[in-house]
Amino acid sequence: MRRIYESDAIHRDDDEAHVPNERRRNTTLQAMRSVPSSTLSDLLVPRRLRHRFVTVDVQTPEQEYAVGEPIPFAVTIRNRMPFPVSIPTVSPLLWEWTVDGNVEASEVPLRDPPEEAGSFAFDRGERKEFRKRWDQLVRVSDSEWTPAAPGTHTIGAAINTADAERTGLSAETTVEIVR
Amino acid sequence: MAPLLEVKDLTVRFYTQEGVVTAVDGLSYRIESGEKFGVVGESGAGKSVTALSVLRLIDSPGQIESGEILFKGEDLLEMSESEIRSIRGNEIAMIFQDAQTALNPVYSVGGQIAEAIEHHLDYTPEEARDRTIQLLDRVGIPEAEARFSDYPHEFSGGMQQRAIIAMALSCDPDLIVADEPTTALDVTIEAQILDELRELADEFDTAIQLITHDLGVIAEVCDRVMVMYAGKPVEKASVEELYYDPKHPYTVGLMSSIPRVGDGRDRLQTIPGTMPDLVELPSGCSFHPRCPFAEEQCTRTEPALTDVETGREATLDTEHAAACIEYTEGLSQGLTYSVEVDGPADDAVSQYVEGDSRE
Repeated sequence: MRRIYESDAIHRDDDEAHVPNERRRNTTLQAMRSVPSSTLSDLLVPRRLRHRFVTVDVQTPEQEYAVGEPIPFAVTIRNRMPFPVSIPTVSPLLWEWTVDGNVEASEVPLRDPPEEAGSFAFDRGERKEFRKRWDQLVRVSDSEWTPAAPGTHTIGAAINTADAERTGLSAETTVEIVR
Repeated sequence: MAPLLEVKDLTVRFYTQEGVVTAVDGLSYRIESGEKFGVVGESGAGKSVTALSVLRLIDSPGQIESGEILFKGEDLLEMSESEIRSIRGNEIAMIFQDAQTALNPVYSVGGQIAEAIEHHLDYTPEEARDRTIQLLDRVGIPEAEARFSDYPHEFSGGMQQRAIIAMALSCDPDLIVADEPTTALDVTIEAQILDELRELADEFDTAIQLITHDLGVIAEVCDRVMVMYAGKPVEKASVEELYYDPKHPYTVGLMSSIPRVGDGRDRLQTIPGTMPDLVELPSGCSFHPRCPFAEEQCTRTEPALTDVETGREATLDTEHAAACIEYTEGLSQGLTYSVEVDGPADDAVSQYVEGDSRE
């Protein structure tokens, strides 16, 4: 197969003007070389400490919602440290939200993520905000939904680690559905 | 005889930071040898992901989570990487959407086509070159011999797309997956390329899975069609039935949004809203927020793909299937649309003239 350097497209010649020449640099580089800080952090920061650097928070704009009114909520996950941190997760699913302990308000399992570890990476001081909405419906089978009963409901979010609750990588808030 | 391609209950998910994108959800279809099968839907409906799954080209963070892709009775998902490589390009070829990106800019066009021929068919470089020149000529590239050693940037957009078609045809595949082969081209070139594709498919008895969002293209080329919405099939039928007797409100919406010569309307009919975010699908029928016929139960129940005649769950053999509650439990108001079939083209022209004079 003919390659581009075998064609006449790139042609270097000292005698001919307007032909690209070899670049010569007389000055030494002044800037510091950048380092792959995420990789370094992964190597240097012990795994057992990483959960301390990340916080999870769930908030809703209101405390009370009328029946049938969609409930918006924001999940904020923040790295408090001035260096990158990554949290190892049990699957490629990095985090999930729940309603009364049911993942995405579903009483039936929604998905079966592959059994391979994932990693939730944060830049230094990074704040990730995810805006979601619960439409007050609970999935009761693969194809059926029923409205949630009026009363208090808990909306939670957790990073998908083995012990998110114990290590503080989860949060929850309560809302009231009123008639 | 076993069908050429049988996809059963295919589910593809992408694990992203924002959540899990279910790009294809429980998709099943079948393509017989020599058949031209169309997949249609809006952007983000999961058409391209379906095509890439057939060639096992889904890359991280995507995962084919479940299902079977049987090609001549063998499951492609169970094959080793070297086995699938011997099928890709050889027995199943793909025409990518953007030819300029699909071609490698630092290799000559002819070289790229010849490489596949040498690799799969064990041709000598000279034989491969001859066959490539024949193919380039076949797809309508003028002075094919001289153009063999041109680089992709020396080809026009239409010629690049033709070169990609030549590449797809190079090993006489049994199935060509064409992912919007004409989207980047103007209508005249589009018509030429579709004609060529159809002729070539007839000549070599190749099956085509044609992915497009253009219903006109489907009508011109395909035998059977699957309409997709939010990663799921919503209607499957033969081209005639889909056009003359659409059963799903989404298909009806797509049909009514086609501009027609001689149409007196001031504005084109559109489907209100946009495709939902695949991370957060609406409850019940995914189409209900945009459906003019949606009722309370549409928000609570997800309809399965159903045989429109019998009301039973559709199988791969079902002729005409649609996923709407109307065909299972029934909607209280029903689907109150009607399909009007215009007369011959002469009428359309006279209407157009009349339409002009009225203004």
